[in-house]
Amino acid sequence: MAHKDLREFLAAIRQTGDLQEIDDPVDWDQELSGIGRLSCERNGPAFQFNNIKDYAGWRICANPVATWRRYAVALGLPADTSVRRLYEIYAEREQQSIPPVTVNSGACKEVMIPGDKVDLFDLPVPMVHEGDGGRYLGTWDLVVSKEAHGNWVNWGMYRFMVHNERLLTGYPRPTSHLGMMLLNGYVPEGRTMPIAIVIGADMPSHLASTATFRIGGSEAELAGGLGQQPVELIKCETSDLYVPASSEIVIEAEVFPDKIAQEGPYGEYPGYRSGEMGNALCARVTCITHRRDPILTLDTTGFMDSSACNTSISGAIAIKRRLENHGIEVADVYVPPESGIHMAIVSVRRGGAEVAQQAVQILTARRALISKVIVVDDDVDVFNMAAVIHAFSTKCHPVRGIHVTEYQGRANALTPAYSLQERVAREGASVSFDATWPPEWSKNETPIRATLDSMYSPDVQQKVLARWTALGL
Amino acid sequence: MTSEYETFVRDPAHILSGNEVVLSLRDLTPGRRKYRGSNVRAVVSRPPRPGEPALWIRSVVGVKDPRPCSVRIVEELPETFNAVAFSDFFDAMEKAERR
Repeated sequence: MAHKDLREFLAAIRQTGDLQEIDDPVDWDQELSGIGRLSCERNGPAFQFNNIKDYAGWRICANPVATWRRYAVALGLPADTSVRRLYEIYAEREQQSIPPVTVNSGACKEVMIPGDKVDLFDLPVPMVHEGDGGRYLGTWDLVVSKEAHGNWVNWGMYRFMVHNERLLTGYPRPTSHLGMMLLNGYVPEGRTMPIAIVIGADMPSHLASTATFRIGGSEAELAGGLGQQPVELIKCETSDLYVPASSEIVIEAEVFPDKIAQEGPYGEYPGYRSGEMGNALCARVTCITHRRDPILTLDTTGFMDSSACNTSISGAIAIKRRLENHGIEVADVYVPPESGIHMAIVSVRRGGAEVAQQAVQILTARRALISKVIVVDDDVDVFNMAAVIHAFSTKCHPVRGIHVTEYQGRANALTPAYSLQERVAREGASVSFDATWPPEWSKNETPIRATLDSMYSPDVQQKVLARWTALGL
Repeated sequence: MTSEYETFVRDPAHILSGNEVVLSLRDLTPGRRKYRGSNVRAVVSRPPRPGEPALWIRSVVGVKDPRPCSVRIVEELPETFNAVAFSDFFDAMEKAERR
């Protein structure tokens, strides 16, 4: 069972040696996020800053789950759980959704600031990277929104920047679930859309919000499944939205259908600041509630940030499901977090050009977040990058093995490879690298891999492995 | 009194034309309100004019032009621009400029 709130989770990773606390004064203006960034790049610990310049009484936790170890603890598992096992457990729990329960009181209501008293500069919002468009409040967050007509409630992790005392600007992509709700429901009717930006909730709730999840699905139920217990939700003060009751900070706001302000640029999860600024939304804060001695959570977004591990798993599961729904027999899918969630490795029972081409078309049909797909045979362990590189380098034909699909209006505007014009127009392409043997090749002519498991008899393999073990290797 | 701002632009030549332009500024005064945003109608000068607040120009990926400018604020504008959510922000500023 996972931990019920952020503070229990932090106690757990403190115990496993995966949390570093700093009591010396640290500047909110780049310094603390620089420490967090370096930690992401060195596979280091999460940080809790207890003494923030200009903001006595506030604390910031940087990168709660930016490593597989902390990801395992977030699911209530031992820190040394293998990546493959984490994938398996996530897939199991995703199927065991547990509905949330509502409560009438919760820690997130300990302090209440009504809209007319709100001053966002009273919060220790960090300047995450030098050259960002502003201070980002929503980095490791959970944004609640509800469709204009109907009951679908979406939780998503979207970035939000402070514009002035009461205004935030944000960049959920227009193709995101929140973006679709806004553009299809509220904008045509000229209505403001209520949202709640939740900061420092229990880890399963954040994992659910950053997960690749189906349209119409309930991330609150997914969070229950991932944490193996129902999430306790409490009603917002100024809307009928519900938020995790144990959250550290809740910022209630309304998104304008017809007003915008500057947002971005921002160093994003692919590991670059790509200049995607200029297509955002603007929201006015209507209320802030928070716990006493609150902890603001921060993702020092970039290479191997806090969302990388979770998007790796949830993205891979979503990819596998979509391919299987289209009749492709998939053995495994791995999305390396180091790829900035731009690459998927797919092992299939039966490969070939047709399958490789089909795979990339299926995966880019609605929105195209993945731009590289490597298709391998099912004798390649997708979690073993050495084996994947070997298969890709040797089996992918430089001409016949490459399948490109181009699209307009649904490309990932954060993909650094695209030109500025392509990013603005969301024009792009994805490529599938076919590293499988053509199914039409005769078995008698298909090359044999020169590895112990392929080019030696079972008797010899057994002897070799026994000898290896006896040598203590 | 603010003495230093920055702004993010898609077309630096446009704002350096010497004409009145619409800008979204970030206040760089140290302290809790650093990076506060505001929208203005202003004239940008390079080299900077004495007595005017400094202005640094950044590109759409945040690259800072090392050549200093100054800014003379002609008019404070509303905190938002009228445009449908997800509209191009630079287009919205241009429209505000033509009004």
